Amino acid sequence: MAQVATVAETRPSSHRFRRARNRVPVWHLTWLVLAALVFIVPIYSVVQFSLAGVQPGQSPFHWYLTVFDDPMFRSSFWLSIQISLETVAVSLVLMVPTVFWVHLRLPGLRPVMDLISILPFVVPPIVLVVGLLPFLEKITWLFVRPEVLSLIYVIFALPFLYRALDAGLRAIDLRTLVEAAESLGAKLPRTLLRVILPNLRAAIIGGSLLTIAIAMGEYTVASLLEFSTFSVYTYTIGTSTAYEGVALSFISFIFVWGAMLGLYLLGRGGRNAAAVAITH
Amino acid sequence: MATIELRGLRRTFGSVVALDSLDLDVHSGEFVSLLGPSGCGKTTALRIVAGFEWPDAGEVLVNGRDVLGQPANKRNMGMVFQAYSLFPNMTAQHNVEFGLRVRKESHEKRAKRARELLELVGLGTAMDRYPRQLSGGQQQRVALARSLAIEPSVLLLDEPLSALDAKVRVQLREEVRRVQLELGITTLYVTHDQEEALSISDRVAVMSDGRVEQFGTPAQIYNGPRTAFVANFVGTMNRLEGTVVSSEDRVVRCGPLMLSVPDPTFNHRAGETVELFVRPEDISLELLSNGNKPAPGLFDGRVTSLTFLGPVTRVGLATDLGPLLADVSSAVALGLAADTVVAVKLDSTALRSIAR
Amino acid sequence: MLPFFAYISVFLLIPTGELIVGAFRTANGAFTLSNISDIFRAPYPQAFEFSLELSGLSALMGGVLGFLVANAVLHHGVPRFVRPAFVSFSGMAANFAGVPLGFAYIATLGTLGVVTTLLQHLGLNIYPSFSLQGLFGCALVYMYFQLPLMILLMIPVIEGLRKEWRESASNLGASSFAFWRYVGLPVVTPSLLGLMVLLFGNAFSAYATAETLGVSNLVTIDIANLINGDISINPQDAYALALAMIVIIVITIVVYALLQRRASRWLR
Repeated sequence: MAQVATVAETRPSSHRFRRARNRVPVWHLTWLVLAALVFIVPIYSVVQFSLAGVQPGQSPFHWYLTVFDDPMFRSSFWLSIQISLETVAVSLVLMVPTVFWVHLRLPGLRPVMDLISILPFVVPPIVLVVGLLPFLEKITWLFVRPEVLSLIYVIFALPFLYRALDAGLRAIDLRTLVEAAESLGAKLPRTLLRVILPNLRAAIIGGSLLTIAIAMGEYTVASLLEFSTFSVYTYTIGTSTAYEGVALSFISFIFVWGAMLGLYLLGRGGRNAAAVAITH
Repeated sequence: MATIELRGLRRTFGSVVALDSLDLDVHSGEFVSLLGPSGCGKTTALRIVAGFEWPDAGEVLVNGRDVLGQPANKRNMGMVFQAYSLFPNMTAQHNVEFGLRVRKESHEKRAKRARELLELVGLGTAMDRYPRQLSGGQQQRVALARSLAIEPSVLLLDEPLSALDAKVRVQLREEVRRVQLELGITTLYVTHDQEEALSISDRVAVMSDGRVEQFGTPAQIYNGPRTAFVANFVGTMNRLEGTVVSSEDRVVRCGPLMLSVPDPTFNHRAGETVELFVRPEDISLELLSNGNKPAPGLFDGRVTSLTFLGPVTRVGLATDLGPLLADVSSAVALGLAADTVVAVKLDSTALRSIAR
Repeated sequence: MLPFFAYISVFLLIPTGELIVGAFRTANGAFTLSNISDIFRAPYPQAFEFSLELSGLSALMGGVLGFLVANAVLHHGVPRFVRPAFVSFSGMAANFAGVPLGFAYIATLGTLGVVTTLLQHLGLNIYPSFSLQGLFGCALVYMYFQLPLMILLMIPVIEGLRKEWRESASNLGASSFAFWRYVGLPVVTPSLLGLMVLLFGNAFSAYATAETLGVSNLVTIDIANLINGDISINPQDAYALALAMIVIIVITIVVYALLQRRASRWLR
C-alpha cells in the first residue's frame, strides 16, 4: 500500500478511486455476517456443549470417550459405512451404464430421465417407506438384512448421482470419443471401461461422495425398518443423554465436512461436473 | 454540446498495462473513433469516461470539469453496449423511457420522447415489441434511442456493431452517423473495424498497447500514417527496405530502383537503411510481351498469387524489391496468371517514409 | 436400460402406486373413502396446518435471506475467498440435515443451550415463550439447510443478470435501488419464487430433524407414528396421509416448473 500512498501525494484522485472501487456496501456485509453466524454458531455450540457437563476430575472429552468406548458406536458406524459403500456400488452399477446408454443411443429418453430424477423428491422418504413396508414385509429374507437399506438409498441418491453423471457426460464429447474408439477397433464395453470412465472420474467420485453422505446421514427409513445405523444410534443415545448425542453430532459434522471438502478439492481443477450438479 | 479531454490516463490490471498515459481531445459535436486491435485499451478508456472503470492516474474532463469524482449514474452520458443491453422485461418503448422514468418525468413526456427517438432510428412501429422479438440490428437501434432519450452531453459507443451481420453493420453505421450529425452530439466510438472508423468519423485515434499512435482525420490516417503500426493496421501496406543515396534530394535506392521520396520531413543521412511504405492501390501493372524488358522507371515482377476481392484483385508479386501486393482492377487481372511476368510501376508520390 | 427401469419400478413406482391404492382400502382390502375422511379428523388437520406453516415460514426465511446473501457474495468488491467459502460451506450445510442437526440446535438453543445461557447472562430469557418445537424455533433449525440450498441455487440466477443491464441502468441515471426495482427484481422474481417453492417442498418432506427436536404435530411424524406402532398402528390412515403429502408436493412441483419456465424467458 506504500505505492498507493506515493501516488496519493502526486495525484490524490487515484487514491480516492481505489477505495471507492473496492468498498463493499454495509448492506451486503450485514447479510454475509448474518449468514456466517447462522452457519457457525450451531457448530460452535456443538463443540462447546460436547465439552461441557463433565464432572470435576473427568476429562473434558468425557462424552467423546464414553461414546468411543461404546461397542454399539463402532458397530453402528461400521454398519453405516458398509451400507453406504453398498449403496455406492449398486448405484454406480445401475446408473453409469444407464446414463451412458441414454446419452449415446437414446437421447430421446433424456426428458424421461430428467423426470425420473425428480421423482425421489416428490416421494419423500417417509412416504416411500410407507409404500414399501407391506411389500417388504412379505420378502422376509430381505427384510431383515441391512442390504435392503442400500437398495432403498439408491433411490434417494439417484437424483444427485444422475445430475453428476449427466453433467459429466455432457462435458466430454461422448459421441466423438466413442466413435474414435470404435474406429480404432474397440468394442463398446471396453470403450466404456477404458475410455469413458477415466474421463468421468471427477463426476463419479463427486456423485459417490454425495451418495455416501446421504446414506450415512439417513434416518427415516433406517429407524422405521429398525436397523441400527449410525444415525439411529445417534438418535437413541442422544435422546437419553443429550451430551453424547451432541458429541456424536460433531462427529457427523466432521464426516460430512470431510466429504464436502473432498468434493470441493475435486472441483478446483476447473469444470467439475459434480460440483456443477450440486450448485444446480 | 460537450468537449471531452483525456489527460495522462493510466490503468493497469495486475501486470498488464491497459492504458499507458493516454491523451485525447474531442471537440464539441465531433465524432471520434478509438480504433485498434483487441487489448489496445480502447474499451478501457471508454469505460473510464463512462464511469465503469477508474484510472490509476490521469484526468477526464467534460466541458473542462473533472468527472472522475462522479459515479457513473450521475455523469449524464449515453452509452451503447456491444449487445444484450436492453432490459428484457420491458418493451422497446419502456426501454427507451427508462432514463426519463428514473428522472421522474411525466408519463406523457416520456411516451412522446420515446416515440420521437424510436422514429428517429426507424423503429416507430416496434414500440411494443420486447427485445427477444427484435433482431440484433433492431435491438441496437433501440439501445441507441434509449441512450439519447436523456439528452446526454456525450454519446459513448462500445463496438455497437461488432455482433451484427456484415450488411447490417454497414447500414447501421450510416444510421448512427446520421443521427449523430442531426443531433450534433459529441461522440466517442470504439471499434476494431478500420473501415467502420474511417467511413463515419470526423477524427480517428489509432491505439495500440494503451497509447494513441496517431490521431487525425480518416484521410490523414490513411494517407499519412506516422508509425509502422498505423501503416500496417489501417489498410494494407507494402514495406520496402532501401539505402539512402542522397539526403537533400531524398533519394533512396531499393534494389535496382532509385526512388524519390516526396516527404519533406525526410531527414535520413546518406548510407542509412530506411523503410518505405506504399499502398497496393498505388502500384500498377503492365503485361510484358515475351522477353521485353520493362521501361525505365519500371521493374519486373512475377505473379505469385491472385486474390479476387470483388472490384479489385490483389496480386501478389515477387520482385527484386521483395514481395509486393498490388491492387488492380479485376478486369485487368483477368489477363494475369501465376508466374506471369509483369512490369511494375510505383507511384512515387505515394511513397511514405515513417520516422523510426 | 431395462435393469434401470426395473429397479425404479420395484423400489419407487410400485410402492408409490401401492400406497395410493392402499389409501382407498380398508384393512381387509375393501374399497373405502374412510381413510381419506380420517385425515380431516383431529389431530391431522392441525398437523397439516403446522407442517404447511413451518414449510412456508422456513421457505420464506431461507428464500429471502438466501437471496440477499447470494447477492452479497457476488458483489464485485467482496474479497476473493468469500465466494468459494460460502459455496463449499453451503454444500456441507445443506447435507447436514437430520438427527445431527437436531442435536446441534439442542446444543445451541435448547434449554441448556450455549446461546440460551449466553442470552440469560445478558438478561434475556427466551424460555418459555421460545421453543425448538414451536413454529419459529423449528423454522430456525430448518434454516440451516434451507439457507445454503437457496444460496447455491440463487447464485447462478443472479449471475444471469447481465452486467450490461446493470451498467446500462447506471448509465441512464439509475441508482442501485432503481435498477433492482425496475429491472433486477422483475427479472429475478420468477426464479426467486420458484426456488422458494422448492424450499417449501423440501421442508414439507422433512422428518428426521423435527423428530429429533421432539416436534409432535407434524404430518411426517404422524405418518411415522402410525407405522411404527409407538402410539397405534393404522397403516390405512398412513396411506391416506402419505397420499395427501404426495398431492401437496406434486402441486408444489408443478408450480415450481411453471415459475421456472417463466424465469427462463428472460434469463436465457
